Amino acid sequence: MTYTVEKAAMTRLPKDGLMDMAYRHRVLLSAVFLLVFPLLVPFKALAVNILIYGLYALGFNLLFGYLGLLSFGHSALFGAGSYACGILLVHYGMPWWAGLLLGTVAGGAMAGIIGMFAIRTSGIYFAMVTLALSQCVYYIFYQATGLTGGENGLRGVNVSDISIFGLHLYFVDPVTRYYVVAACVILALFFLSRILASPFGAVIEATRENEARARASGYDVRRVRLVTFILSGGFCGLAGALQAIHLSIVPIETMHYETSGLVVMMALLGGMGTFFGPFIGAAVFLLLENVVSLWTVHWQLFVGAVFVLCVLFFPRGIWGSVLHWVKK
Amino acid sequence: MTDRMTISRRRLLGTAGVAVAMSPFSINIARAQEAKIKIGFPVPLTGPYGTEAEDQVRAAQVAIAEFNEAGGLNGRLAELLVRDDKLNPGEAATRAIELIENDKINFMVGSLSAAVQLAVNNVTKQRKVIFNSISQSDTINEVADFSPYTFHEALNPHMTAGAVGRYAFSKFGKKVVFLTADYAYGTEMVTGFREAGKAFNIEVLGDIRHPIGATDFSTLLPRIQAMKPDILCISNFGRDQQIALKQATDFGMKKQMKIIAPILLYTGRLAAGEAAFEGVIGGTSYYWGIENKIASAKAFNDRFRKMFGGKVPSDYGSLAYGGVKTLLMGAKNAGSVDPEKVIPAVEALKYDYYKGPQFYRKCDHQSVQSVFIIESKAAPKDNPADVFNIIATDEPAEANLRSCEALGHKA
Repeated sequence: MTYTVEKAAMTRLPKDGLMDMAYRHRVLLSAVFLLVFPLLVPFKALAVNILIYGLYALGFNLLFGYLGLLSFGHSALFGAGSYACGILLVHYGMPWWAGLLLGTVAGGAMAGIIGMFAIRTSGIYFAMVTLALSQCVYYIFYQATGLTGGENGLRGVNVSDISIFGLHLYFVDPVTRYYVVAACVILALFFLSRILASPFGAVIEATRENEARARASGYDVRRVRLVTFILSGGFCGLAGALQAIHLSIVPIETMHYETSGLVVMMALLGGMGTFFGPFIGAAVFLLLENVVSLWTVHWQLFVGAVFVLCVLFFPRGIWGSVLHWVKK
Repeated sequence: MTDRMTISRRRLLGTAGVAVAMSPFSINIARAQEAKIKIGFPVPLTGPYGTEAEDQVRAAQVAIAEFNEAGGLNGRLAELLVRDDKLNPGEAATRAIELIENDKINFMVGSLSAAVQLAVNNVTKQRKVIFNSISQSDTINEVADFSPYTFHEALNPHMTAGAVGRYAFSKFGKKVVFLTADYAYGTEMVTGFREAGKAFNIEVLGDIRHPIGATDFSTLLPRIQAMKPDILCISNFGRDQQIALKQATDFGMKKQMKIIAPILLYTGRLAAGEAAFEGVIGGTSYYWGIENKIASAKAFNDRFRKMFGGKVPSDYGSLAYGGVKTLLMGAKNAGSVDPEKVIPAVEALKYDYYKGPQFYRKCDHQSVQSVFIIESKAAPKDNPADVFNIIATDEPAEANLRSCEALGHKA
């Protein structure tokens, strides 16, 4: 994994002052980008989807890119957040912010449960265990028709009027909805950046680079993995909860393993192990899908070709390649 | 090597950039044609129901063409905005939001799955846009999902299974076994059959469930044979139905019992061939062969044939025609596209556009309509589209629907 070392060298020991500044203020730069982003996208509902899937991919990337564990079960974490938020709003009449908060907690809790079993393994076994457990979760939610709506999905997660510190907003309005979701995502980006910049963040990367050495240095590798998995679940849970209030429904497909595969693709496309790469991956994937499917029903062929080309010629992913190129 | 790579990368980025830059642009051009009545039309063009979805688009275009030729709404013409919902409720909801917020559509028609229509319905009712659903669901009639903006042109499982059940239980015997796909649609169909069976005192010998997408029924079929029923009722859809029927035929079950299905799909019958479906009885909302008896069907078929090279419309396709047409005629009668004026106008319609008399029931906006009981047959050489015989017609009657009270509506 030489490129990660290169990347680390690039970001940690920058020769260039501009890059250093960009690295220090990555959250601010990301936030500025997100604020102007809707102007570049054909419609707001898509822009919000990109925010949500971007956050989902960021959460996934914390585990995959930074810790080096490939999970095929992240749909369970995303879905847990989505359903927790939806169920609390529909069946218990909770306010939207409580839904988001508890959705985040639910994502983390689900990660805790799956993680307890999964972190005992690594590599392909980790991927398979997470996939199997997420399928179990899928069927539990599928069968719990009374609570989740089962096959039909959960409907009626309607959030229309919200007030934040006395400021009343009409959430159905597309622009308002985008910026409310963007605010949550920026907050999450800030937390993610804090985690990565903390000593714990260094331990995460140390574990990825050399597990034996990390253990020899006195770190409890298993606990590091579990905590990272739970944190990753929290980000994915928040993304899921945001999706629930954005679409006003929670489809059972949220839990499907395709949703797990999707996030792997987005992270790879954008550049795993980079701070903002997964976001770019989600944006490129969803934009391609939406724009191309307006022209042809064979959009999957087109998106697949782009993915193959990307993997063949830009193994660092789009954002990873850009960073690498700028460094040169 | 490095140089060459750089060029290709730039070229690739450039192409991607142009593609991204063009997309909002093209949508702006489309938006420039103002004052048209826009109908959003999300259907699953990609996915297992792609064939049906393409036919839905064709039939909807017939309705649009007729409306425009008749002068539109005081010269205001209609336009269909087709979107691919990929048979995914989340995608469908996103597309529905896009159609409402960006394209400023006046009406929404579409969907081909229970979950997708409920997702679209949730989006439209929150934003007070009229939605006419053209695929089967019992749930959409119920008070929790219904709104004044919700219409349901399609049949629902209760009506379909009821019609087929009333026909079959009176003719072929009382001992019944169900073979059912284990999901919402299958369950709703079985409930419909059981309700209809009460009047005939049917005896249910067994209800055997199989997961969706099953490819092997060989372990289930001998169990059914051992129960010795008069009627085997297969409640599944699409490919599941084709495989189940084929294997039941191979097991020689058609000699021992009568096989019925709530819905026989025209496209499914064409895909699976005559042997598997031979002698199977089922229901349908529409079959082109009714044109001998029903003038409106003849007119619709002829128009469809003319526009699409001699093809005949399928069952789900014709629903799209009905769904688009009723809203447009409602708008015409109301003289406006304002939902508050169109809703009463559509409620007041007593229409016969393609399959005989229909109307929307006031409490749940369910289209009260006939159900045709059809039997599959081998197509004659000169007409490969002639695959069903119509053996009975369940005439439109409110009594065949669940009562408004049972759905939770106030009277």
